[in-house]
Amino acid sequence: MQLIANITVLAAIYALLACGYVLIYRVSRVMNMAHGELAMLGAYLLYTTASLFADHPVSAIAAALVLSLTVGVLVYVALMRKMTGQMVLAAILTTIAIGILLRGVIVLIWSASQQHPLQVLKFSNPSIELIGGARISTCAALMVLATVAVYAALFAFLRFGRWGMRLRAAGQNPLLAAQRGINLNAIYALAWALSTLTGSIAGMLIALDSGLDQTMVVIGLKAFAPALVGGLDSLLGALLGAVIVAAAEVLAIHYIDPLLSDVVPFLVLIATLIVRPWGLFGTREELDRV
Amino acid sequence: MLARVLAAALAAAALVCSANAQDAYVIGVTGALTGPAAGTNGPPIEGLRLYVDRLNASGGINGKKIQLTVLDDQGEPSKAAANAKRLLTQENVSLLVLSSLSSTFAPVIAETRRANVALMLMGAVCPKEVYPPADLLQFCTTAYAGGYDSRATLAFIKETAKEPVRIGFAAMAIPLSRGEIDYAEEQAKAMGMTPVDKEVIPPPTADYTPFATKLKDANPNWIFSWAPWVTQVKTFEALRRLGWEGDYITWAHIEAESELARLKDAKFYVIGANSLFQDNLPIHKQIVAEAKKANIRYPAEQMTEGWIGGLVLEAVLKAGGWPADAAKVRAAMENVKVDTQGLRGGPIEWSKENHFRTRQYYRVYRWDPAKSAVAVTKDWVAYDVK
Repeated sequence: MQLIANITVLAAIYALLACGYVLIYRVSRVMNMAHGELAMLGAYLLYTTASLFADHPVSAIAAALVLSLTVGVLVYVALMRKMTGQMVLAAILTTIAIGILLRGVIVLIWSASQQHPLQVLKFSNPSIELIGGARISTCAALMVLATVAVYAALFAFLRFGRWGMRLRAAGQNPLLAAQRGINLNAIYALAWALSTLTGSIAGMLIALDSGLDQTMVVIGLKAFAPALVGGLDSLLGALLGAVIVAAAEVLAIHYIDPLLSDVVPFLVLIATLIVRPWGLFGTREELDRV
Repeated sequence: MLARVLAAALAAAALVCSANAQDAYVIGVTGALTGPAAGTNGPPIEGLRLYVDRLNASGGINGKKIQLTVLDDQGEPSKAAANAKRLLTQENVSLLVLSSLSSTFAPVIAETRRANVALMLMGAVCPKEVYPPADLLQFCTTAYAGGYDSRATLAFIKETAKEPVRIGFAAMAIPLSRGEIDYAEEQAKAMGMTPVDKEVIPPPTADYTPFATKLKDANPNWIFSWAPWVTQVKTFEALRRLGWEGDYITWAHIEAESELARLKDAKFYVIGANSLFQDNLPIHKQIVAEAKKANIRYPAEQMTEGWIGGLVLEAVLKAGGWPADAAKVRAAMENVKVDTQGLRGGPIEWSKENHFRTRQYYRVYRWDPAKSAVAVTKDWVAYDVK
């Protein structure tokens, strides 16, 4: 039972991070290599708002979420907008540069010391006993619930929401969407905002559960594998990819060798790419420009 | 016209830089200022800078300032190698300081060998090459050191345990952490303990619970972890969340003091060679005052490693005299004795044969619920370094 709990929590972490990759790729065909850094920045923003509103945790969390959305919009407006119409490779390289910049800025502002937003918010993180004697922390349970809520909201938004439909349209055929009066810049900014928000939620919950440090960048990168396994333009694929990669990783740790946990996500990725290069639920396509 | 003015300005700037470099001791530093290991390896560099700034403000050494050239390697071997190459060949440093993960050691050592410049490990784990008979170019001021740390830890466990010890181990998947835990496992067997599990955890891990689950299932009553702080403390917290109630002992990295106070767990021990600031010695007060004045980014209690590095650097450069070059600095490093003023249990002494210290002192701290404070559980114990 504990194994299932561990797989569920790890899958939730990967799924929440992976949907950010999917949102941006789906709309602009850009792989955001700064997603881990943006998730980490969201967590640091929570740490700051928690310090500012120590007695008002709800305000602190709400402010951090709003700031994360704003960061996403700013990244697009200030940097990625200039990449529209350029080669996809240039846009990807720009996201790598954003990541390097963010890492430096974060150390300059907050230092590289481990921080504990949970403590600043004066929350505790007791274990919850599940059926079969399995245990998970309260923050891990929140991570699972948040993942379910985020995916449900995203599916509903993309299926039924006016802006959601515009987002899908821009992703499928940007030229036609623009001709039909859809403001592509607004759509791309929305995708960046939502992607940064979901990544930040993951970052915040990881930081609340086990502290905030620079390792989050690499965790963000590891979530790239589930996104690719599922198919970079499919939310459902990201969810399934997260479950497959998490299950492979946890089972490898438990039954084979803990050292394999670093390798297994990429073994799964290679296996998937050999069979279906566009991922389990991805779309087969040939497009090389934003 | 503008181009000529710019060219003249650049030439003047180059001359000023060159004059400054020639008129100062040039020391190169490569370390993990960012990246996963930055929390452990960044503060020693800040501490060294704090000490050097203080020295420079009081006139420098032998009337000359110290110029620290610091480069970030993010804990990555390739970046550390590039940094070392640049510092040794372009900046012509007379000493290279390294504060990074052990995976960066091999390429940096290779570069220092090529340039025949001494390497001082400060805030990075001491490798066995600094023990007698020491490698010609490697020196170490860092508190933690392979072999001795495990011996001291296991001796403490044996002394403290009230029942037969079933011991679990946790390491990070980097060379020295794995090597030390393998050594500890063998030592534990030799000391009559029963090793029940050993988890080697990759550095960036999203969730430590799967590793902790395996450790807990092996049912140890003690766990020893010797790894960067992130791995040590996150494994412990995951174990507690799973309901494991045994004793956990781990290395007292620079983060230990604030973390003991955060965790408030009486069965979480840290063993280390540095005194903690709760001892409130005059040297601690001085570091706190200097840190406050300099408005540093890290807590003052994380400055110990860098401060000790600064003490040693000052002694070496003083002895080496002026003008400094790599050969004179290396020769001076082979005959150093530095009073650590209570930051360690004893002095740092280097000789031609021993580039570590002649005696290594250990102390154990934990959270004391009765006092509601961090307290010494076991006072200094000395080990002769042979």
